[in-house]
Amino acid sequence: MSLLELKDVSKIYGSLHALDHVNMKVEKGEWVAIMGPSGSGKSTMMNIIGCMDTPTEGQVLLDGKDISKVSKKEQTVIRRDKIGLIFQQFYLVNYLTALENVMTAQYYHSVPDEKEAMEALDRVGLADRAKHLPSQLSGGEQQRVCVARALINYPEIVLADEPTGNLDEANETIVMDLFRKLHEQGTTLIVVTHDPEVAETAQRTLTLRDGRFTKETVNEHFTGVIHYND
Amino acid sequence: MIKGAFVRQWKKMLMIAFTVALGTSLASAMLSVMMDIGDKVNQELKTYGANITVVPKETSIVSDLYDVQGEGGTSAYLKEEDLGKVMTIFWAFNIVDYAPIVNVPAQTADGDDVTVVGSWFNHHLDLPTGQSLDAGIMSLRSWWTITEGNWIDEQADGYSENDAMLGTAIAKKLGASVGDTVHIKGTKHDADYKVVGIFDAGGEEDDRIFVALDTAQKLDDMDGQVASIEVSALTTPDNELAEKAAKDPSALTVDQYETWYCTAYASSIAYQLQEVIKDSVAAPVRQVADSEGNILEKTQLLMVLITVLSMIGAALGIMNLVTASVMERSKEIGLLKALGAQNGAITGLVLSEILFTAIVGGAAGFLGGFGFAQIIGRSVFGSSITIRPMVIPIVAVLVIAMTLLGSLPAIRMLMRLEPAEVLHGRQ
Amino acid sequence: MISASLLRRRSRMLIALLSVAIGAMILSGLVTIYYDVPRQMGAQFRRYGSNMIVLPKEEEFSAEDAEKAEEVIPSDEVVGAAPYRYENVRINQTTVLAAGTDMDGARASSPYWNVDGDWPAQTGQLLVGKEVAGKYGLKVGDPVTVTYTPEEVYGAGSDTEAESEEEMILDSEKDFTVTGILDTGGSEESYIYMSLEDLSELTETDGGLDILELSITANQDQLKDYADKINQTVDHVNARLVKRVAQSEGTVLTKLQALVLLVTVVVLALTMICVATTMTATVTERKMEIGLRKALGASDRSIIQEFLGEGILLGAVGGLIGAILGFFFAQGVSMGVFNNSIVFRPLLLPIAILVSMAVTGIASMVPIRATTRIDPALVLKGE
Repeated sequence: MSLLELKDVSKIYGSLHALDHVNMKVEKGEWVAIMGPSGSGKSTMMNIIGCMDTPTEGQVLLDGKDISKVSKKEQTVIRRDKIGLIFQQFYLVNYLTALENVMTAQYYHSVPDEKEAMEALDRVGLADRAKHLPSQLSGGEQQRVCVARALINYPEIVLADEPTGNLDEANETIVMDLFRKLHEQGTTLIVVTHDPEVAETAQRTLTLRDGRFTKETVNEHFTGVIHYND
Repeated sequence: MIKGAFVRQWKKMLMIAFTVALGTSLASAMLSVMMDIGDKVNQELKTYGANITVVPKETSIVSDLYDVQGEGGTSAYLKEEDLGKVMTIFWAFNIVDYAPIVNVPAQTADGDDVTVVGSWFNHHLDLPTGQSLDAGIMSLRSWWTITEGNWIDEQADGYSENDAMLGTAIAKKLGASVGDTVHIKGTKHDADYKVVGIFDAGGEEDDRIFVALDTAQKLDDMDGQVASIEVSALTTPDNELAEKAAKDPSALTVDQYETWYCTAYASSIAYQLQEVIKDSVAAPVRQVADSEGNILEKTQLLMVLITVLSMIGAALGIMNLVTASVMERSKEIGLLKALGAQNGAITGLVLSEILFTAIVGGAAGFLGGFGFAQIIGRSVFGSSITIRPMVIPIVAVLVIAMTLLGSLPAIRMLMRLEPAEVLHGRQ
Repeated sequence: MISASLLRRRSRMLIALLSVAIGAMILSGLVTIYYDVPRQMGAQFRRYGSNMIVLPKEEEFSAEDAEKAEEVIPSDEVVGAAPYRYENVRINQTTVLAAGTDMDGARASSPYWNVDGDWPAQTGQLLVGKEVAGKYGLKVGDPVTVTYTPEEVYGAGSDTEAESEEEMILDSEKDFTVTGILDTGGSEESYIYMSLEDLSELTETDGGLDILELSITANQDQLKDYADKINQTVDHVNARLVKRVAQSEGTVLTKLQALVLLVTVVVLALTMICVATTMTATVTERKMEIGLRKALGASDRSIIQEFLGEGILLGAVGGLIGAILGFFFAQGVSMGVFNNSIVFRPLLLPIAILVSMAVTGIASMVPIRATTRIDPALVLKGE
């Protein structure tokens, strides 16, 4: 049984089909990239996978359970327990420290655990920046805090929306390395991006266009480690 | 693009406009009420009756103090023909009501002493200015309760000269009720009066019989003679100048005299009455005049302080929200800066937007404020508040000042802002 | 979490706090003034003088009766009590009305009496009405002899010669110094005033009282109750309201209170709307944060607890600060206008705080509710 399955999913706004009869399967431990230009429906895809929105038609199965018709309350619970989110805009609460921002995710899940949060920060290499406010962190550091936050509750799926979109090359490398490590540890990763180079780092790439998957590429030269040229 | 930024912010602009409107309406409502309250309360205080009396120069009027009999006998009179001149004085406009009084000692049919008082009740006067006035004690005795029947009313259809009103005490003594005829013996003539009303004055007047002026005069062959005139006027509370003038007007300098004469002090109105009524002495009735001055002052002071509090609140509120609103626009301003806009240009842009919003909000606020003022005026006093044009500039200055002040700290902060910070999500 | 939010977002929090404090200040200040106005203004109306008089049922009443009548009224409500005894006396062979009274009581119950000179303070001192002074050409400091002839002499004709000699001895006289001239613009100007003791001395009798004037701080209904009680419990007297004073006061004072009430309502309404607006804005600007927390899995209840909790805490603290400031303001007004302290109403403090909390609570709830209903995805997009 796949970890995540989209069966004939459509999202319709009036006459616009943001997603049109989409089918997808993601296995546990897989690293999948969904690539498409803006307007392709990838934000909508992200929202549906991330359990922040429900499809107009079709089914979304997470761990065998249909989450396409659940109530908002249940959506919240699922998001909390099973999905780790990383956004392009690296949303952090601007008046909480890095550590506290990580703990926010714990707070709604179970109990804030400072030790665990520190460990998470350590894993992304930011243990020494724990007490800093977002305004005192660089873009890359902020995004890494988001990664730590996404991981803290041991989610089944880590969903990242343009994770490196706002980062410079150096930071991009750091974050992608992080993802690689996560993948090695067995985390299921879904990355939504418009950048082919980012997509190539995944095991396979699904191309999204006008609400439909048009291509599926298996990244043969996937070695688990990619170095970028200068 | 700039216009686009402005339009997108319309919700926030609306918020500023709304708050400015609230603050403005508060300030203008309070100011309007504060400026008019003196007149309103002054009008209300007329319920206490006359605050100036005019008596003949040589007089030893001994009237009764609470039922105590004094010695009768008056030596001089005022002329009835001078009564019309009351409304020719400089401050005629402030005279709300007045009535002549003549006290005639008489006897009842049983030989008991009784005082018959002649006066106006609802006497119509057509003034040379074209105005008209209904004068008489009907409004000068607001505390009288008519326990039976009605007031004597010279303008009513059934009015007759021999209509009389009896105080409850004398009515009880004579066993008279409305409709009865009472026989009165004056020193020169007798008369039969028809009782049209019985009143409870709660004082010495309950022992007296009230009739029309001419009717009372007839008892004693006193045609054309008036013992005193009660006047109820809207006055300005006394101050040092007024007190000095009251003692001796001739001790004032020319300027002081003019100021005093042209201000509606009780003493200057009295002085002016003395000027037109021959051989008279007019003086404020201290019990009423001094007290109302005090009440007026206190009420105005109270309203001033409440208004000050409201205006501080309004000012702080406006300042507060403007600061908040400007600070919220940091991203937008960062963007403008990144695009190369100068500090001065940005300040100008932001300020003019805010001022425009403030003006719109302020205009709406004025209307609201004046509306509230009217609600207050009508509910409490039953009359409209006179809107003073001065309110507008005062409130406008306040609002603009507060808006600018509120923008200051925020703008200063924004000036120091680096575009990069803002654009990349750091704040 | 809440404390971090409040402490680190200092400037934003201060703005909201200030707004709440202003609202609470106006609430507690104005409401205190509103409740205090009848008492304070009412005291001002005592300038109009006595609002109750006690008259004899028959001819006169005694000082004890007067005392008993006065005792019916709580002493802190009696502004002034002046007993009067009137007698016909003579100055320079012509008759004049003399009034014996308690000078302190007269001064307190008739504040509008304007004395040129000084009030009599010792025996042998006289207060002369303006008209009388004019008639006899008296000035402050002049000596004047007052003569009194007992009434029996007027009434019955003298029977024998021998008695007529005694008649002359029966006339008593007393020397006075005019200490003050009384100007009221009313009938008081035709009297001369001396202390009751002097009058007793002059007339060689302890006569009864003709009237007791009372100036009482109480509204019309209370005055009526006092008058009724006096009439029931004290013999020989008949108490009654001075309608002109009592009724007019009732009319005007009612209007003044209505004025302050309406002003308070208007000001309060506008201020509270302002506070609500500010609170709403404070929450609205954190929409993104709410969306983010929801995306991270915060339940609606969590969000409401956190953000509403903040709002209410702000309301409580701001309410407390404002309420205290409001009291100071009310006290300032009271001292400035009436030269008198306010009556501190401790109940207003918790009420002001509760109202602040209610306003901030409700004002915060609206945007919180609205935001939690929207999909976090939409919120994060920046709708």
